[in-house]
Amino acid sequence: MQHFALTIIGRDRPGIVSQVTKILFQGGFNIADSSCSILGGQFSMILIISNPAISTTEEFSDTFKPLEESNLSVYIRTLKPGGEIRPELEGELCMISVYGADKPGIVYQVAKELGDRNINITDLNTKLVGEKQTPVYVMMLEAMLPENTEIEEVEIWMKELKQRLQVDISVRSLVVMEL
Amino acid sequence: MAVREVLIYPDSRLKENCAPIVSFDESAEQLLQDLVDTMVDAGHSVGIAAPQLGDLRRAAVVDVSKSKLGKKQENHGLLQMVNPEIIEKEGSQIVREGCMSVPEYTGNVTRYESIVVQFLDQNQQLQVIRSEGFEAIAIQHELDHLDGFLFLDRVSSLKTDLFRRKQK
Repeated sequence: MQHFALTIIGRDRPGIVSQVTKILFQGGFNIADSSCSILGGQFSMILIISNPAISTTEEFSDTFKPLEESNLSVYIRTLKPGGEIRPELEGELCMISVYGADKPGIVYQVAKELGDRNINITDLNTKLVGEKQTPVYVMMLEAMLPENTEIEEVEIWMKELKQRLQVDISVRSLVVMEL
Repeated sequence: MAVREVLIYPDSRLKENCAPIVSFDESAEQLLQDLVDTMVDAGHSVGIAAPQLGDLRRAAVVDVSKSKLGKKQENHGLLQMVNPEIIEKEGSQIVREGCMSVPEYTGNVTRYESIVVQFLDQNQQLQVIRSEGFEAIAIQHELDHLDGFLFLDRVSSLKTDLFRRKQK
């Protein structure tokens, strides 16, 4: 079955989720996976959707017109076959928290350390918090360590980065218990 | 010896409050054995509770000593628990849990760091043990099953908690 990635973003207000999902429900769509959150003043929705009767965006893109009319931006991406399947990720999960006085490049520098070593970031959130005069940047990410990478190594890289960026970083393993 | 089928949610028996075992008869002994056999057969599992086999009695088994992470910590080996009850609890820890009855999903759950649990063992002896870390998590997870709770009832998202509190 053809799957689509649907992205919707617009100024936050009550009723966006219901407005969007009403259209999906009435159009016969399934929501396979989704993540929705407030970012800044914007409500953003990312959904993986499918409909057994639909295989191209042209067949349904018009149904979202009412959303555009109420100031929501809608973007639809057609997934390649298999693009809806979550890959089987093997390895140890680790959680990295980074926080400190706001400055350019915090996300990039941390992500580069991981990306250069082929470590997959599976979740990432950032937020600017604190007082206006003294903004604090907070980032939390989850990454999957490949088999040949130990958490102690990550701690060493992050310790070095902590010095260089002058931020606080903590690394901890996220134990997954199958019960 | 009997390896039994593990029920998968949405089987409604997983949401039932289980009944205490009043008479510790042969069928209770058989239940403990089936729990152990099924847990061992499931390979990766470190615990299982009676309702996961469709038996709505308060019994569960836990053994973290065979798991990669569990054996690094102090533990009590195989625990066979009838009418278990947590009588003391302290601290908290976050763990990503998965469950044989809820396949393909894991979520972050907050559990007590250290617990004291009381139960009747397979020899009908009253045991009171203190458990910490990995084993304590497994016990809390299995005991939740006896009250009809799945880890899905306890999932919290650390990131959301952290960020929510910061928002004005």
